[in-house]
Amino acid sequence: MKPLIERYGTAFAGMAMVLAFVVFAPNFATAGNLLNVVKDTSFLAILALGFGLALTIAELDLSIAEVASLSAVTAGALIQGKYDPSLAVLAGLGVGLGLGLLNGLTVTALRVPSLIATLGTAAIARGLAFMETQGVAFVGRWPTSFTGLSRGTTLGVSNLVLWLVAATALTYGLIKWTRTGARMVATGEAEEAARLSGIATGRMKLLGLALSGLFAGVTAVLLAANVSSAAPNMAGDYFLYAIAAVLLGMTMFEPGHPNVPGTVFAAFVLKALGNGLVLMGAAYYVQDIMLGVIIIGSVAFSASVVKQAAFKV
Amino acid sequence: MTDIAAPILSLRGISKSYGGVDAVCGIDLDLHRGDVLAICGDNGAGKSSLIKIISGAQPPTAGTMTLRGEPVRFRSPHDALQKGVATIYQDLALAPRLSIAENVFMGAELTRRLGPIQLLDKARMRAEARRYLSRLSVDIPDTRRPVQRLSGGQRQAVAISRALRWDAEIIIMDEPTAALGVRETAQVLQLVRSLKADGRTVILISHNMRDVVALASRVVVLSRGRKVVDRPIDGLEPDDLSHMIMNGAERPAVAAAS
Ligand SMILES: Nc1ncnc2c1ncn2[C@@H]1O[C@H](COP(=O)(O)OP(=O)(O)OP(=O)(O)O)[C@@H](O)[C@H]1O
Ligand SMILES: [Mg+2]
Repeated sequence: MKPLIERYGTAFAGMAMVLAFVVFAPNFATAGNLLNVVKDTSFLAILALGFGLALTIAELDLSIAEVASLSAVTAGALIQGKYDPSLAVLAGLGVGLGLGLLNGLTVTALRVPSLIATLGTAAIARGLAFMETQGVAFVGRWPTSFTGLSRGTTLGVSNLVLWLVAATALTYGLIKWTRTGARMVATGEAEEAARLSGIATGRMKLLGLALSGLFAGVTAVLLAANVSSAAPNMAGDYFLYAIAAVLLGMTMFEPGHPNVPGTVFAAFVLKALGNGLVLMGAAYYVQDIMLGVIIIGSVAFSASVVKQAAFKV
Repeated sequence: MTDIAAPILSLRGISKSYGGVDAVCGIDLDLHRGDVLAICGDNGAGKSSLIKIISGAQPPTAGTMTLRGEPVRFRSPHDALQKGVATIYQDLALAPRLSIAENVFMGAELTRRLGPIQLLDKARMRAEARRYLSRLSVDIPDTRRPVQRLSGGQRQAVAISRALRWDAEIIIMDEPTAALGVRETAQVLQLVRSLKADGRTVILISHNMRDVVALASRVVVLSRGRKVVDRPIDGLEPDDLSHMIMNGAERPAVAAAS
């Protein structure tokens, strides 16, 4: 049946590939390695869920990685300065939310296309992150109340996994069950129609980009807590991964729409793919090539909102 | 108490000029409940310009409007919608990849409150969307289907259902059958009849004189921004209408007969 293949084709392909690694890649199927893949999926999926929210209102947020890096070093600076860890967490989230709001205002009030606005924000955030750290990383013996956010467990389950579950559930609930979510979707799908129906499309765009920034902040705090350090480019490697996760996710479950299950599942598949390739001895650059193919392939395959967002420049 | 015979909408001296072009000049018009008013005229006669004023898409340069006896000014199409005047746009107003129910309730969702959160009441929206459609004699069992899979006529029905959702008393349609085939046109004509049967007031722009004669209870002909004909449809043939539009006046024999 065609709709089934359309909805689950790439998901099955992804599963088949993961199973192939289970059989062929040495050490892939060990508990330790799989847990690492899942933890790494958490960072990626949370960042990607934010990018997906921006894409839901038909805007591209190209600043997520730099915003996350700036959030991480801001939190890191406060931890290094012996401030209360909860303050560091709030500062990290605040930087993300603040830059997300800045993106939103630039797009809605100044009418700068998001492609350009977020590119500018990315450059600014990057500069600020290097300024804060003078180019080096903050490393140290950080309090466990901070590092435990990522490294701890609750009732035997990794906290990272719990954050991922929470972020997934909240995003899914927002989009599928709330009026605000429905209005964000309507704004992204048909802005003019939404406006004529009385939806405050500007506010929806602001919200989507603000949430994208906030999710980058959450990712940043978890990343820094996981490695007890913060570097000015620490989220850089997640940028292409996050975009690939959202776009690949748009080929499954609800083809053509950015969707939460697709994003999270694609994040897992991509991280498993990257991990499996490394275990099978592939060079590090193979991952980049793989991401490039997936990004282009996914959009060619479906992803009309992306085309809409990108051509608005 | 509102007088039944009083017009639901009155225009007095409505004009619109774009720079030097006078698109609409001093139009007086009374619309009564249950009217199906056809607005006819040649290309550039000012039909769309007039409709945009009534739908809130643009303000008039001069003149006043009265809605249900009260003076009114629409700030936007949404403002007009809230006051019961809905416009059915050709393609602009639907989100093709969203479902029928989502389109019907766009911007006016049915919700349940959970603390500060407004949760969507999807089951009720689906059922209500189906009910609106059946009021228009359109039967689409599954309102979760995306609008892009529907025929042109069914899409019009979805757009009209949204107007019903807002409980619009006046429904404006600018060339609703322009892009449609024979069967779909028949379907849209049926929609207009259903609206009339439902007690709505309809303003219709059409270049198709057969449609106008078949549907309208009244016809207004514009020529170069002025109203040159305003009369009940009875007894008019499509040819008479074409003649009025070309001559910018009633044909003498018809005028005498009415
Ligand atoms: N935005 C505008 N700016 C300048 N002139 C305009 C504008 N809109 C309409 N006009 C002019 O106003 C006049 C009336 O146009 P309008 O679109 O109302 O005619 P119409 O009766 O709807 O024609 P058609 O049958 O072709 O749709 C025309 O001369 C047109 O060129
Ligand atoms: Mg017109």
